[in-house]
Amino acid sequence: MRSAKMLTAVGLLAGTSLLLAGCASSTPAAEPKNVELRMTVWTANEDQLALFDDIADQYIAEHPEVKSITFEPLPFEDYTTTLTTQVAGGKAPDLAWILENAALDFVDSGALAPIQDTLEKTDGYEFDDLSDAATALWQKDGELIAYPFSTSPFVMFANDDLLRAAGQPTAAELQAAGKWNWEGISEVGAAVNAATGKAGFVVRDFDYTSWDNLASVWMGWGAEPWGDDGASCEFDSPEMVDAFTFLHEAAFDKKSMPGPGTTADFFAGESAFTVTQISRASVLPDSGFAWDLLPLPEGPEGEYSMVGQAGIGVMATGKNAPVAADFLAFFSNPENSKKLAQWFPPARTSQLSTETLAAANPVLSADQIENVVIPGIETGVVRPGHTDSAKVGQTVRAALDAIWTPDADIEESLIGVCDAVEPLLGK
Amino acid sequence: MTTLIKSPVGRASARPGGRRPLTHLQRDALAGYLFVAPQVLGIAAFVLVPLALVIYFSFHEWNVLANTFTFVGVANFERFLADPQVAPVMRTTGIFSVALVFFNISLALLLAVMLNRSLAGITFFRTLFFSPVVVSLVAWTIVWGFLFQDNGGVNGALELVGVDGPNWLREGPTAMVAVVIVQVFKNVGLNMVLFLAALQGVPQELQEAARMDGAGPRTIFTRIVMPLISPTILLTFIITIVGSLQVFAQIAVLTQGGPGISTTVLVYYLFQQAFLFGEFGYGSVLSLVLFLIVLVLTVVQWQLRKKWVFYEN
Amino acid sequence: MRTDSAIETRPAETLGQGASAPDPHTVAGRAAILKKNSDRSRTGRRVLFYLALAVMSIPFVMPTWWMIISSLKPISEIFASPPTLWPANPTFDGYVKAFEMQPFAQQYFNSLYISVLVTAGTMLIASLAGYAFARIRFPGQNALFMVVLVGLLIPSEVTIVPLFQIFNTMGLINTHWPILLVSTFGAPSVLATFIMRQFFLSLPIELEEAARLDGLGRLQIWWRIAMPLAGSALAAVAIFTFLHIWNLYLEPTVYLQSPELFTLPQALTRYTDAYGGQLWNVQLAAATMTALPVLVVFVLAQKQFVEGLAQSGLKG
Repeated sequence: MRSAKMLTAVGLLAGTSLLLAGCASSTPAAEPKNVELRMTVWTANEDQLALFDDIADQYIAEHPEVKSITFEPLPFEDYTTTLTTQVAGGKAPDLAWILENAALDFVDSGALAPIQDTLEKTDGYEFDDLSDAATALWQKDGELIAYPFSTSPFVMFANDDLLRAAGQPTAAELQAAGKWNWEGISEVGAAVNAATGKAGFVVRDFDYTSWDNLASVWMGWGAEPWGDDGASCEFDSPEMVDAFTFLHEAAFDKKSMPGPGTTADFFAGESAFTVTQISRASVLPDSGFAWDLLPLPEGPEGEYSMVGQAGIGVMATGKNAPVAADFLAFFSNPENSKKLAQWFPPARTSQLSTETLAAANPVLSADQIENVVIPGIETGVVRPGHTDSAKVGQTVRAALDAIWTPDADIEESLIGVCDAVEPLLGK
Repeated sequence: MTTLIKSPVGRASARPGGRRPLTHLQRDALAGYLFVAPQVLGIAAFVLVPLALVIYFSFHEWNVLANTFTFVGVANFERFLADPQVAPVMRTTGIFSVALVFFNISLALLLAVMLNRSLAGITFFRTLFFSPVVVSLVAWTIVWGFLFQDNGGVNGALELVGVDGPNWLREGPTAMVAVVIVQVFKNVGLNMVLFLAALQGVPQELQEAARMDGAGPRTIFTRIVMPLISPTILLTFIITIVGSLQVFAQIAVLTQGGPGISTTVLVYYLFQQAFLFGEFGYGSVLSLVLFLIVLVLTVVQWQLRKKWVFYEN
Repeated sequence: MRTDSAIETRPAETLGQGASAPDPHTVAGRAAILKKNSDRSRTGRRVLFYLALAVMSIPFVMPTWWMIISSLKPISEIFASPPTLWPANPTFDGYVKAFEMQPFAQQYFNSLYISVLVTAGTMLIASLAGYAFARIRFPGQNALFMVVLVGLLIPSEVTIVPLFQIFNTMGLINTHWPILLVSTFGAPSVLATFIMRQFFLSLPIELEEAARLDGLGRLQIWWRIAMPLAGSALAAVAIFTFLHIWNLYLEPTVYLQSPELFTLPQALTRYTDAYGGQLWNVQLAAATMTALPVLVVFVLAQKQFVEGLAQSGLKG
């Protein structure tokens, strides 16, 4: 009897709270006034946050209707999860940084409000300055949905001290000898491992789980995980089989790449080469060894380059979406883009100059910026994403685990990957 | 303070021509309701209401990003029944929980018996075994992740005794073993302290008497000590088994449910579906399943307590 | 408290290791054997016992040790293999940066005051509810107790989204209220109520009956008779609750958004470089500062705590 009453009460409460949740999100925006903007970010770096606050203060000074702009750091590991929880709870931020691997989910779902109009109409924005390569991932039906505030090329770092200690040529010597290709790297890496016990080459952040980082390798074989429409699985293509055969041999036969369950940190001097984003160069001054920076090595299909990106979007559900878009236009205008360039390589063609980037990356030489960074950004391809990225990523990861054993049948395992992931791709 | 309880009586009797004053029993019952009110209302607001919402969500397809929320009837439940991953996930969950509870309880008991004496330095050792309980879970798990690498500390130690250790986190069976080990060492200290406390409550006279009667240490332990601390064992059993079904951060850090899906326990699967894949509808169904399992297990254990437990007041 | 001298005279190998010792049939015989045994073999056994404890403690201590010494290392040395047991050049950089990068002192205070408030609130609510469920008879008692127990059975992942919605409609997101309210009144306090109920069940009822004859009301009996005897159970509740709230991660992550409102476990994960890479030395320094005080408190209080629990009703 009591419990029946209780259940009724529970039902009532539940209904009310849903109703309220619905009301809160559908309140129409009248004249904007006392606007409080919130942007979720995944950096907790004080210098970066100070710069953001600085830009925000300037904006507020010119826009009395905006009362405050707060930047809210969420932890990087569960960034998308936490953001999604906030959206689910009806507490979406007004603006959000978007991780590259979740880009398609956010862009395609309608979660983000289009920003192209606002950007184009903003005085002095120079919208056409944004490079096509940088904006490709962030468009829907030819319209820009989110602003790519960071476009960071993948490069190869080399530990010249370790190479010399193993009696191997330095990175520059390898390149001069025409051996700057994956086979050459793997040979040298195997020799380093044999001579010193340290690792040959490491695909950073792969760790035999985040498989999409391997795109920086398989692109050299001309392989793609799925067709352009995203509907057909290409993991079992001959190119992909060759690329994975190379990786499997490197890990299990030549020992030029640390095997599963073994990590080696390049920046702690434990490996001769590493593939990673240019932005990691900032930790090199502390590492205490002679290093070099080169483009990604050639694959059987020749030269290629890849970039990692991050975007800023305006959440469509926010009450103040128009104001938020206007702030984004200010945040990413030429002047502020230049300031942000010290951490985030810009999408603006005019700012891809040795001068701008050298000021931003004091540890890199002008040569390295001119020969590696700028071409990398200009020609770099974004790794292939997919909608439903988390589910696709997890399914592929689970299926790919079959490859990472010494006696794996690579072709068979990759067919297994396609079997597992194909039902998701068609959606 | 006392007015709280006395006032209803006063009011009732002061009413002109009023009803009978509350009887002793009624007054007592009223006090009972008032005493439990904060807890019961809190549970209603922060557990039952959310639970009702979860049930409500489970009949809907909820796409958070696209901001759509559609009624789909029992589709999510049908999906659960047809989901080919459910069977392996359930098996994994069962193995994980049984292993965890078994090792946690036996190790805690062993440690408690060993440390239940007043020797010099015993406090120091108690503290050592308890220390993981206060260390941040994330830091603890990350460190163990390094120790369990193929060339990590665990295999290094095994090599010293001539054993070629497995690639712990990369092979199905050993990954599960590793996850259990990490979790056991993290929490066994708490159960150890509970058992220590229970052991110190065992009257020495009883053990002395048994010794007089010629009982050996093993007999004393199984016949006298165990029955006397059985209520504590039951309580820790329930807490540990319920806790084992809620372990997910460790799995997220150590194995992400892999290799394959060999360490994907139900709560991690739930977390994946709801928070990583944004499938809140299906995640709600999995939540309800998890809740039901815990509920049934607890009720069964509670019913069994009369068999297991030596005495209860 | 009883002395442990009786236990001490027992050979160390009480549990399953007794194979080597002769098994005497009488206490007298046993005592004789013990006396005859030279001091040396007793010392030997002691040494063996300590050695066994030391070996067993390795997996418990190693990770914590690694955390503490790594917090004194520069970041490049932390993951060097083979790992170094002591930093080559100890540095307190991580500790300094922990305070520079975030309002760490403020976050420390947040964790502390939230943990203390919730612990105190839980002790009050749980002892009231636990007492009533154990001692007072009222209609629907069992049903209500079952309802409360439901809270013990629900993983927080299950209810976090609806709770977030509820608090959002109340405008309480990015305040400490959701954590304070849910932790004190909601699921986390159920274990406390359960422990208190079990304790009060084990308390002799005669004391209370005498008090009732003297005309004391329930509240007075609870406060004057039952509570003064419940110190040990309350201690158990306090340490369970404090540790739980001190280590809470999911709820703060979801409810709190401004760094100055963060709690410690949440703050720990925010020590990252400009690109989201973990600053391990800073993170481990902060983790050390989070764990050490609790450890110290345990060292100081463990005797009272364990002995207190011994008399308490952690009896199913």
